[in-house]
Amino acid sequence: MRPLDLTEKDPSKRITIHFEGKPLEAYEGEKLTVALLANGIYWLTTSTEGRKRGAFTFGPVPMVVNGVKNINGRKTVVKDGIRIERQNYGDFQETVEVDESKPVTRQVVDVAVIGAGPAGIGAALELQEHLTVALIEERGWLGGDMWLKGLPQEGFDGEPKEVIKSLVAQFNDNVRVFRKTIALGIFDKGEYFLVPIVKGDQLIELMARRVVLAVGAVDNILLFENNDIPGVFRRDFALEVMNVWGVAPGKKVAVVGGRPEDIVPELERWGIEYIVVPNPKRVEGTEKVEKLIDMNGNVYEVDAVIVSDGRRPDINPITQAGGKLRFKRGYYMPVLDSQHRIRDGIYVAGSAVSIKPHYANYLEGRLVGAYILGEFGYEAQPCVYEKKLREYEPEAITIHKIEFDAFSLEDVQICGCDVSLKKVDDVVRSGITDLQIIKRLTHLAMGFCQGRFCLFNGAVVVSQRANLDMAKIDLPVARPPLKNVKMKVTAAGG
Amino acid sequence: MPTKELPERSEIVIIGGGIIGVTLAHELAKRGEEVTVIEKRFVGSGSTFRCGTGIRQQFNDEANVQVMKRSVELWKHYSEEYGFSFEQTGYLFLLYDDDEVEEFKRNIAIQNRFGVPTRLITPEEAKEIVPLLDISEVIAASWNPTDGKVDPFYSTAAFALNAERFGAKLVEYTEVKDFIIENGEIKGLKTNRGVIKTGIVVNATNAWAKLINAMAGIKTPIPIEPYKHQAVITQPIRKGAIKPMVISFKYGHAYLTQTSHGGVVGGVGYELGPTYDLNPTYEFMREVSYYFTRIIPALRELLILRTWAGYYAKTPDSNPAIGKIEELNDYYIAAGFSGHGFMMAPAVAEMVADLITKGRTSLPVEWYDPYRFERGELRGQALQMG
Repeated sequence: MRPLDLTEKDPSKRITIHFEGKPLEAYEGEKLTVALLANGIYWLTTSTEGRKRGAFTFGPVPMVVNGVKNINGRKTVVKDGIRIERQNYGDFQETVEVDESKPVTRQVVDVAVIGAGPAGIGAALELQEHLTVALIEERGWLGGDMWLKGLPQEGFDGEPKEVIKSLVAQFNDNVRVFRKTIALGIFDKGEYFLVPIVKGDQLIELMARRVVLAVGAVDNILLFENNDIPGVFRRDFALEVMNVWGVAPGKKVAVVGGRPEDIVPELERWGIEYIVVPNPKRVEGTEKVEKLIDMNGNVYEVDAVIVSDGRRPDINPITQAGGKLRFKRGYYMPVLDSQHRIRDGIYVAGSAVSIKPHYANYLEGRLVGAYILGEFGYEAQPCVYEKKLREYEPEAITIHKIEFDAFSLEDVQICGCDVSLKKVDDVVRSGITDLQIIKRLTHLAMGFCQGRFCLFNGAVVVSQRANLDMAKIDLPVARPPLKNVKMKVTAAGG
Repeated sequence: MPTKELPERSEIVIIGGGIIGVTLAHELAKRGEEVTVIEKRFVGSGSTFRCGTGIRQQFNDEANVQVMKRSVELWKHYSEEYGFSFEQTGYLFLLYDDDEVEEFKRNIAIQNRFGVPTRLITPEEAKEIVPLLDISEVIAASWNPTDGKVDPFYSTAAFALNAERFGAKLVEYTEVKDFIIENGEIKGLKTNRGVIKTGIVVNATNAWAKLINAMAGIKTPIPIEPYKHQAVITQPIRKGAIKPMVISFKYGHAYLTQTSHGGVVGGVGYELGPTYDLNPTYEFMREVSYYFTRIIPALRELLILRTWAGYYAKTPDSNPAIGKIEELNDYYIAAGFSGHGFMMAPAVAEMVADLITKGRTSLPVEWYDPYRFERGELRGQALQMG
């Protein structure tokens, strides 16, 4: 077993990979970033301003793979003999093979469901009896955040992966599943919605009469010094390495953020040594996390830090599709009509609407599916789901008071693209409170994540420094593409 | 939210706080005039905010070449004085056939006559300037090393700050709703935050110019329409990879360069409108990807981070309307810049300030005569990019 393996891997799949010239053990099908973590390697890339970065919090992971620069480490699967090296963000491949990309194809469906978590699966199951569905999932698995869990979830019977498997097993031929597929945006063409999707390097133009945004929520980024260094894990990445890949985030980890209960039982299940630190100030280490220091000056020797601070709806697809937002319960959420629509033809379900248990999100998926069936003239029972859903009061998420005076602000990263809390705070303190201007002056929300992981904190800074109500802060609207896409993919076929 | 009070009166009021309005306020205030800018959102928030950075003197007529020659002198001067970046990294027009070469030889002759040092260069020389170029189909290029790029937002902010230093008032989040006119004389403007008394008004609202003209009751036809143009930015790459603005008319009227932050930015000719809609389209993403990757193959492997849209305020001959409108006393217009207003701004400011303070200017402002449309005297199409 490798240093951080939690489970014995299938020896028949054992291969050798090379990192910075050093041979390492890996297993077929593993993600590159996970294979390196299992071997105790955290530092994978270096930001434009020279900050060391890993793969498990915000920011991109460009790497050199078999001599080719600027390959996304998170989306690369290891192969026997593969050679991997570090690079800086700005390195790119100057000479490229001119391979003619695959021609663009078109597919027509009744409903495009974006996101295959419990809500997307619920919608597809409801719709499939009468309508054709394209179920689009960026990750390699169905089940979304629930697939990451090892412990039973309220409302469902049994182990989460088994629940998901049994739900997915019920899909009929009307459901076309696209794994490892991103949606570039939702474009209104009058008669239909154009939803261009990308699977591998293949561009597919989906023509759908209705769209369901089951795009989920994103984990909050907690602000503390060096919150970007290798060894800092977002809750979802920590769960993924443990429960999907059987690899530990570290031998001894610290849990920080307002929701330690979302990760602690999982650490206990695996027997990973942990400590909960409610008030982190700073992490330190030369190549990765070595210690955590709290606001009281206590020092904890750990080799990883897991941030578990709750989730907030991913609002980018909502605003790109023309939806409006409101602020409630500590987060921005879509403004919906009585049938869960942001506008005619576009529905929202799951934690993209509000934060609640997986089962409630699943019900909400079924609910929008039922609304759509009704719209198409089929018999449907939305009121059954409406009633059950009312039993779940959406959760409120706490907004932390940022300890501006306690932090060394230039060490706190608000965004993965070298935007420090200091840069943003300086602009806000100069009297600028419009996030559009703050974006331009600091580059906040202009990088790879398109603001998913930093815009909210930007709004918090404005709110706390300028004493403005979060509800009155105008968030910039997301622009296509919703997820980064290589230019050769959208260039395909003329 | 508004932070500054609307003054009770001002000698001159400029409507519109984009680069044109702000550079004009700066110029007038520097000359000792009392001037107020009224901007409905924040300074630089309109097309200036969405603009593509380019500054070029490579036009195809005498007036625009002279105006841009002066403008570049002013960009150079003020960037040094106010400390914003003006990188003279040049403009490179890629040429693919004999007709294009002949046309550019004529343009270069006009440019050279007014002291703009443009040269026709070989494909190999072009590749030395931008090593990432695919020159397999390029037969020549038009190259002027004194063209360049400026960050629109930082420069607008610098002019705004210094305009205020000279005494100009910049009033944000304030929208003009109507004119107060008595006996053909401007008496003031009504805004959503009250009335401002004034006798001299400049319409510097570009894409919104026809709305302001209508409020002023102007009968003269000044056809300015908003068109949607779009832009793209890629992930940041090593700085200095693409220094100049690269233009290819063959490939979709594409323009592209690298920002100071490292991303590759640009657009194509794809135009929608007239419209005030600003939602980026899928068709643009497809076109820009196709054309850009033909000009620079290495872009194939770069990630697109974002697209956005802004207005070109277009006139029928792609030249702005700049001048005094005679039918309403002391009403001026500087609008309809058709995609190249940002680069012209410092010279336009000088021209309009001359007109207001001296009644004449040494720059060839008559080329932009607002009455040319009514008279049916359209100019030769100004070289419009993107």
